[in-house]
Formats: sequence, structure tokens, C-alpha cells
Amino acid sequence: MYHVQDEASLLRASLDGEVEAWGEIVNRYKEAVFGLCLGFLRNHADAEDISHDTFIRAYENLYRYRVEKRFSTWIFTIASNLCRNRLRYRRHHPIAPLPAQMEGGCNPATTIAQEDRQAQIRQGLSRLPYRYRTPITLRYYNDLSYHQIARILSLPEGTVKTHIYRGKALLRQEIGEMEVINHA
Amino acid sequence: MHEDKLEKLLRDTLQQEVSKERHYLDGLEKKIVAELTGQLPKRGWLQTLTQLFAQMQRSRRRQLTVIGITAVIFLFLGIFVSERVPLVRGLFSVYDKQQKATIATNSDEGQLLFVMPAPGAQTVAVVGSFNNWKPILLTDEDKDGIWLTNLSLPPGRYEYAFVVDGRWWGQDPLADEYVRSFGGYNSVRYVGYAGDKI
Repeated sequence: MYHVQDEASLLRASLDGEVEAWGEIVNRYKEAVFGLCLGFLRNHADAEDISHDTFIRAYENLYRYRVEKRFSTWIFTIASNLCRNRLRYRRHHPIAPLPAQMEGGCNPATTIAQEDRQAQIRQGLSRLPYRYRTPITLRYYNDLSYHQIARILSLPEGTVKTHIYRGKALLRQEIGEMEVINHA
Repeated sequence: MHEDKLEKLLRDTLQQEVSKERHYLDGLEKKIVAELTGQLPKRGWLQTLTQLFAQMQRSRRRQLTVIGITAVIFLFLGIFVSERVPLVRGLFSVYDKQQKATIATNSDEGQLLFVMPAPGAQTVAVVGSFNNWKPILLTDEDKDGIWLTNLSLPPGRYEYAFVVDGRWWGQDPLADEYVRSFGGYNSVRYVGYAGDKI
């Protein structure tokens, strides 16, 4: 019933307490939110937790959402804040290293150049400082404009551009170094 | 590595990463719906008030509207009166000046400040038992309608009254007490005794 409705109607229905309508919103945004969390946190268990918490928190505070603003920006802002809190928590409660699947690594079985490159990117992203990783994820996974990223992260647009530029420069450097090691 | 190539690689990597982990999201919406069933989103205070108002019976709503409008009218009337009516405005200023005078005279007992709000008056004088009821003129240097004078008096009880443009004004709101005198009132202030107001 709900899957054919437009976003505004779904949000209005959710605000009236129709949780099924909110379920449809979750269905539409879960992948984008999860991708954002995964990009930020580099850990699927935390990303899963935060995605769940984001939708619960957003539903509880739905009255704060203003219809004239983009819903995606609003929900990404919630997710981004929750991710930041989780990272702060992780500083004092570190977890075991990520499984090889997430880290990639130089698995001899996956010697195809493209896969190697992706593994290097994954490794590079995990090492990248959080302040560079977040705008890069929002830009290249969520396909957001600099303006939207600036609003989500509460940063000036210029700072966002600088962080993305520096993040990419660091990634390029890391990939270069890894290639040198692999070829040696 | 070329800029476009790196960006494409970033996009592909992030998307592939999510598609590999997508199975974690299976049934997330159902889980959330089950968790939230029976729970309403929170409401802001404005929305709560609007909803309460909408739920009220029509007659009750009308009553509340009338009470609200009346309260607002009285509030504005009160502000208007306190701003426009000189006596009310004057009283506030008098208390303010009296407070300042009290602070000023703490180190110098026997100083008695006489204050009289009389906007538009030509002359204001104080007469009292301290000088055999001869008028002592009050001044209004800042032209705000508040007339005042400061007298040095020995400890004692003093009856007094103001004379505003020739009219007797015997009830000073700042007096310690009042006494009847010749069919009217005089004010009384104490100087130098324990418990006096100066």
C-alpha cells in the first residue's frame, strides 16, 4: 500500500503514528544510510547498529523535520552525528581488527588488478582520518553536493572541498606506496 | 593516479562494499516497524498544544479563546497604563530613586530624602514639623516629573506633607505612617531610630 506513495505523504502518515509508512521510508533509505555509516565507521557491525538507531531516532524526532528541507539531508545528519558518537565511544572501547573481507588485503587469489586497487582503496579509507573520510563517503557513495555535505557535517563548504581534496591526495599517496611495496 | 580514475575507483569501491554487506539490511524495516508499533513520534510543545486544542469540545474551545483574548487585552492595557499614566510611571521612578537614596545615606544617618511625583507641576514644596511648616522647595533637575530634596535632620519623628502648586498632598507613599490632621492626612517619617526606613 505504502510503496506507491510519495515521500511527503509517507512522512505525514508517519507523523500521525502510522509505523508502516515509516517502514517504507526505512526501506527507501536503509541502503544509503548504511553505506554512509559503513564509509564513516569502516565496520559493518557498528554500521548496522547505527543505521538502526538512525531510523528509530529520526522517527521519534520526526516533528523536528521541516518539509521544505530535503529529507535525505536531515536523516544523513542524524546518521552522521550518531556515527561521530560511536567513533568517540570506540576510542575508549576499541574492537578487534576488521575481518579480511572488509580490509581487503593482498590475497593471492584475488590478483585481478581492479580488485587489488579496490582493496587498496578500502585499506586507505580505513587509515584516512575521520574528517577526510566522512566527506569523501558522502560525496562518492551518497552522491551529495558540497553544499549538502557542508550542511550535514556543519562545516563551511570551502572546508568540505579542502577535506575531500586532502583525503584524495592522501589516498593517492597510500595507493602509490602500496604499489611500490607490491612490485618490490 | 588520474583524478577521474581515483573518483571512479572510490565510487566503485564504496558501492561494492555496501553491496557485499547488503544482507545485513534484510528485514531492517520490519524490525523497526515491530519496535515502533504503538509508539507515536514525539511532539513539540506547539504541536501538543494545537492537538489538545483541537481535541477540546467546541464550547470549551470558545471559552478558552475568550479567556485568552481577555488576558492579552488586559496585559496590553496594563503596559499602556504603566507607560502613559504619570502617577504609575512616577511611582516606579520614586521607588527607584528612594532605593538609590537609601544606599547613598547608609553612611550618613539623618539624611532624609523627600520625593514627589508631579509631572507638569510648577512648584512642589515639602512642609513639616522639622521647620515649623515652612515650605522647602523640591527640585526637578532632569525634568522627568519627579521632584526631590534631601534634608539633614537630627533623629526624631517628623510629620510632613507636600504642597503641589498650592494643593496639600499629605499621603506620601514612602512614609512610615500617616496621621489624621485637620480633616486630612499628614505623613510621618522617623530618622535615626532603630528600625526606621532611612
